[in-house]
Amino acid sequence: MSKSTSSENSREKMLMTLTPIVSVLLALIVGAIIIACLGKSPLQGYGAMIQGSLGSAAKIGKTLERSCPLIFTGLTAVFAYKCGVFNLGGEGQFIMGGCATATVILGMGLDGPVATLCGLTAGIVVGGLWGLLPGILKITRGLNEMITTIMLNYIAMYFMEHVFKNLYSDNGLPKTLALPNAARLASLGDMHAGVILALLLGAFLWYVIFRTSFGFKIRAVGMNPIASQVSGFPVKRLVLLAFVISGAIAGMGGSVELLGKTPYRLAGGFGSGFGFDGVAIALIAQLNPLAAMAVAVLFGILNTGGTMMQSVIGVPTAIVDIIRGLIIIFAVAGMAIVKLPKVIAFFNVRGTRHDKAQSAPDKKEEVTA
Amino acid sequence: MEELLRMEGIDKRFGSFYANRNVNLSIMKGEVHTLLGENGAGKSTLMNCLIGLYTPSAGKFFMRGEEVRIDSPRDAVERGIGMVHQHFMLVEDMTGLENIILGDKRHSTPLLRQEDDRKTIEGLMQRYGLEVDLDERVADMSIGMQQRVEILKVLFRGADLLILDEPTAVLTDLEVQGLFDIMRSLTDEGKSIIFISHKMREVMHISDRVTVLRRGECIDTLEIAKTTEQELADLMIGQKFEESVYAKVNATDEPMLQLTNVSYHPEVKHGGLKDVSLTLHKGEILGVAGIDGNGQAALASLVTGLLSPESGEVCGPDGKSIALFSPQAFIDAGFGNIPEDRNKMGLVGDMTIAENLVLKQTDSERFSAGHGAWLKMDAIRDFAERLREENDIRCTSVSQTARSLSGGNQQKVILARELESHPKLLVAVYPTRGLDIGATSFVHDQIVAQRDAGCSVLLVSADFDEVLKLSDRIVVLFEGQIMGTYPGANPPIKEISLAMAGK
Repeated sequence: MSKSTSSENSREKMLMTLTPIVSVLLALIVGAIIIACLGKSPLQGYGAMIQGSLGSAAKIGKTLERSCPLIFTGLTAVFAYKCGVFNLGGEGQFIMGGCATATVILGMGLDGPVATLCGLTAGIVVGGLWGLLPGILKITRGLNEMITTIMLNYIAMYFMEHVFKNLYSDNGLPKTLALPNAARLASLGDMHAGVILALLLGAFLWYVIFRTSFGFKIRAVGMNPIASQVSGFPVKRLVLLAFVISGAIAGMGGSVELLGKTPYRLAGGFGSGFGFDGVAIALIAQLNPLAAMAVAVLFGILNTGGTMMQSVIGVPTAIVDIIRGLIIIFAVAGMAIVKLPKVIAFFNVRGTRHDKAQSAPDKKEEVTA
Repeated sequence: MEELLRMEGIDKRFGSFYANRNVNLSIMKGEVHTLLGENGAGKSTLMNCLIGLYTPSAGKFFMRGEEVRIDSPRDAVERGIGMVHQHFMLVEDMTGLENIILGDKRHSTPLLRQEDDRKTIEGLMQRYGLEVDLDERVADMSIGMQQRVEILKVLFRGADLLILDEPTAVLTDLEVQGLFDIMRSLTDEGKSIIFISHKMREVMHISDRVTVLRRGECIDTLEIAKTTEQELADLMIGQKFEESVYAKVNATDEPMLQLTNVSYHPEVKHGGLKDVSLTLHKGEILGVAGIDGNGQAALASLVTGLLSPESGEVCGPDGKSIALFSPQAFIDAGFGNIPEDRNKMGLVGDMTIAENLVLKQTDSERFSAGHGAWLKMDAIRDFAERLREENDIRCTSVSQTARSLSGGNQQKVILARELESHPKLLVAVYPTRGLDIGATSFVHDQIVAQRDAGCSVLLVSADFDEVLKLSDRIVVLFEGQIMGTYPGANPPIKEISLAMAGK
């Protein structure tokens, strides 16, 4: 009996890993059907998508730049959820990070690497503070963070409007002045250095979550806060830290986006949608920081490639939104289905049959021998 | 005697696992038929098949000789089968009457006819000696009365066969006697009862026949008059069962833990503590006896630092007050804790066995470098492998989730973790709840071994037999108050059980 539980365990793990991959394939197939229904060739469409996103070094750089903010917001969600905190405020924290960077650099008139460094730090700190607010509300007053973080998103959005319309407006236009050249993030070939920062951060978070005692406690609190308390962990402090760190990651993302990407200024729509994309990325990646980076890059490919698909063969970019939506639906539904007892039983039965089929020839040999 | 129910060849498979295999069982009219078996023997699965919650993979049911299909709980009700679950299924905010008629489908009109139903129910109450205040809110009723509401509910739906799932677990001795009287009057009127229990004394007392289940299979059906406790225990575990007897010690007078006039929400009868004073000496097992829900949880939380008392003092071995200590301080003091609910409080179910074994020690030099900055995965795995070996934790790998273990093995993980550092004080709350005989005696052995090594043990248990067996001294907790202290050697059982009922 013990043997069967081990293979059941690993089989479930394998199914869980396969789910997102199968979901992407299924979504692409459905997307292909829709493209075909529009009277275009799916092959050509996807060809254009690949060509447009990964066709040359410059295009790969562009794709990674577009993935960069999604990596940050994806990691934001991953870290918070690991500790059982449902931070839906990635977008607000991202925006506030951008605002802080703009304010520090434009307001204090900084320039050069000092400006970059101060801007980044300000973004991280303010993002963390924007995460701290719902944390304090949850711990002291028991307010549900899903609601408070979403409301704080709106506050952040309107605050940003104030920044780009009133405080640092570019000659009265609804956008801030551009950041000075020397303050911008260095360019590495065809992309800005922020992409490297994002990838390093993802690897670092993986290490923190899975290889440090702090991450161990964060995970334990996320999975069973009562047992964590009995085990002597400072549960409230850890939850608060999860809010702050998760907010800081998003804030850093906003800061990097502003410092790294044209037009290097805040304007309407900055950060829009990134927060919820991050949530989706974290769920598809099953809360693994490394997988979250991969999913974010996939979303980047869909974004850049989708534009190309539209301009080359005339398939509307809405297809990309459909595909992205389908990936989310398939992945989340798939994970739920994999955990259904009936499905587990089905795969176990098939698995044992398979095992038997494999062991059968051996037995025959024994008999003949 | 006439046969009421017959099961023929009932199989219930989950995947490749047989929870029940080829079970044949026959229930006579007017008998109390006990199902006896360890946890996981398949008693609950079999009953869930009978009341339509599960569909058997194979096999047939016959009621009064006629084959019937039971595909849903409603089918079971229509066939006259009703179950009183171990955990009551009552709406706390409704009255007894409302609970009894809730969901009943006998009237075709959409309006409730409470007064008609009340008459019917009062008739039932009289006939079977079931005393219930129909207009009292269930939340305000005693546990015994809530159980009688459940029985009335089943009778009101016209059950001829009642399944009582561990009905005595929550009752005082006096209430148990009352329940047995009710059961007798039910069988006298021709009702049949399937009684599930593993308290041997009660089984011998109330049953007409006993069917022993083991590993999902029906081992034997015996007439109670022609068998003995020993024979049943042997059949149940499949080998000669030898109950171990532990020596009692006379402890020193040195206090290890002292509670003086401790109160915590004393107005709450079923969860608070009122003016509790007790002393745990070095090297003894102090058993806290009492019916579940008389302040045990609060007592354990106070001692382990999860709660702070509203008044009074908790003092450590040096006589200094540790009233305001935290779980962390409790652990730092080198104390061990077997919490009351292993899944909720003891383990992180989705973490691996290895991770659960080092749960409290990830900051230590032993398992991480640089105060937790780098977990030594190899050290953790080796440690887990060693404990697995030493404690006979049955698993395929220590990287399996703790959730996937059986209850007994989960408890072994907690014991291994808490006892590995040889604590000076061990708080064990319901340490064998839900465990089978084998796992229970393992836990008992471990606790006594710790005491023999000089550890002081505070044992809180609702299982009276367990308290009697292990304790060097016994205190009784009733409605948050200490009713008395008794010696563990030659305990005055009668006196203690009266104290447990508040007398």
